[in-house]
Amino acid sequence: MPELQPPHLRPRLDAMKSSRPGPTRTADPRPPDHFPARGNYPVYLLFGVCGGFLLLTSLLVLRGVWALVGGEAAWNAFVASLSHPLYIGYHALALLGVVWFSLRFFSIFPKTQPARIGPVKPPPAPVILAILNGGFAVANALLALILWGELL
Amino acid sequence: MAVEKTKTFVVTRFDPDRDEVPKSQSYEVPVQDDWKVLDALNYIKDHIDPTLSHRWSCRMAVCGSCGMQVDGEPKLTCKEALSDYGDTVEVKPLSNFPVIRDLVVELEGFMEKFQAVKPWIMVAKERAIEEGTYRQSPEELEEFKQFSMCINCMLCYAACPVVSNEPGFLGPAAIALGHRYNQDSRDDGAAERNQVFRGDGGVFACSVANECSEVCPKNVDPSAAIQQAKMLNVLDWAQSFVVKRGEE
Repeated sequence: MPELQPPHLRPRLDAMKSSRPGPTRTADPRPPDHFPARGNYPVYLLFGVCGGFLLLTSLLVLRGVWALVGGEAAWNAFVASLSHPLYIGYHALALLGVVWFSLRFFSIFPKTQPARIGPVKPPPAPVILAILNGGFAVANALLALILWGELL
Repeated sequence: MAVEKTKTFVVTRFDPDRDEVPKSQSYEVPVQDDWKVLDALNYIKDHIDPTLSHRWSCRMAVCGSCGMQVDGEPKLTCKEALSDYGDTVEVKPLSNFPVIRDLVVELEGFMEKFQAVKPWIMVAKERAIEEGTYRQSPEELEEFKQFSMCINCMLCYAACPVVSNEPGFLGPAAIALGHRYNQDSRDDGAAERNQVFRGDGGVFACSVANECSEVCPKNVDPSAAIQQAKMLNVLDWAQSFVVKRGEE
């Protein structure tokens, strides 16, 4: 039986194709088997999906700026609308997404370090990870304190 | 004495002269418990169906010829113990590659990507013989040794979702090899290779699925090579604003 793939899971027919046609006809390439369910693929796709939070939150910020331009009443209405359960739910989800995105990004980061940059050798992977995760936690704590009015 | 039992092998068949698209064919194979997947394919070829085509050579995970999809995962069939698989084993040609016949894929596209990264040592000025050999310390060797262990088996290409969607992408093995030479203390060709790395389908096309490193049978970690090449290219680009070319 020919294998039928839904269009979004078909590879480009020119994937890994030679620029010069060979002497024999070839069968079209197949995409990686079990994509996107196997191995790292789900995590990889989720990592990309987190970009959606960035887009939606950017739109929300734009809406806030628009409300600021509209005057105090518009701004107060915008702030009040943020207490809607849907917004709170979205923000909780976005927070989870951003934290997970950051942790995964940091976990990849040590292996991006070449053995040497100029004369400098990077610190060991656990040290890089600790610095990144620690810095992330401190930056978030500071931001939370500022937003709560405890700092500044 | 090895124990014998029967396993079913579902193997992709494709004859370019007869078949419009690939199809599957099942074979019942009496296997021994110390066999690898490749042993079963060779048994089919030798005893059941001599028309089956597949590539293999060294039988010890060195030549990189026998890469295939085994139960959906890119594997070196000479390295995969049959005892790790169930009673039915599915063997297909590597994903992302055009298929020439049965389990044999076309390599030309791969070779073109390989050549694009200039995988050889380029020196700015050839040394005279009387100047002696090029010397390299163990520390300098350590900077790229891991990336030189690639056996060109192409499993990383079969696992990469970017290769499926971005045919111009150089791909994991080619970039890892280019990076290997960029990191080699004897080489002066980094600037030339980085032009290729920064171009369309270069290192920045990689979206870090990391599956290439998962499937690599030699633990080369091509994903690390790509991310390192990205980092070095960004640093090189930033440095170009401070130091003019030729003044480093």
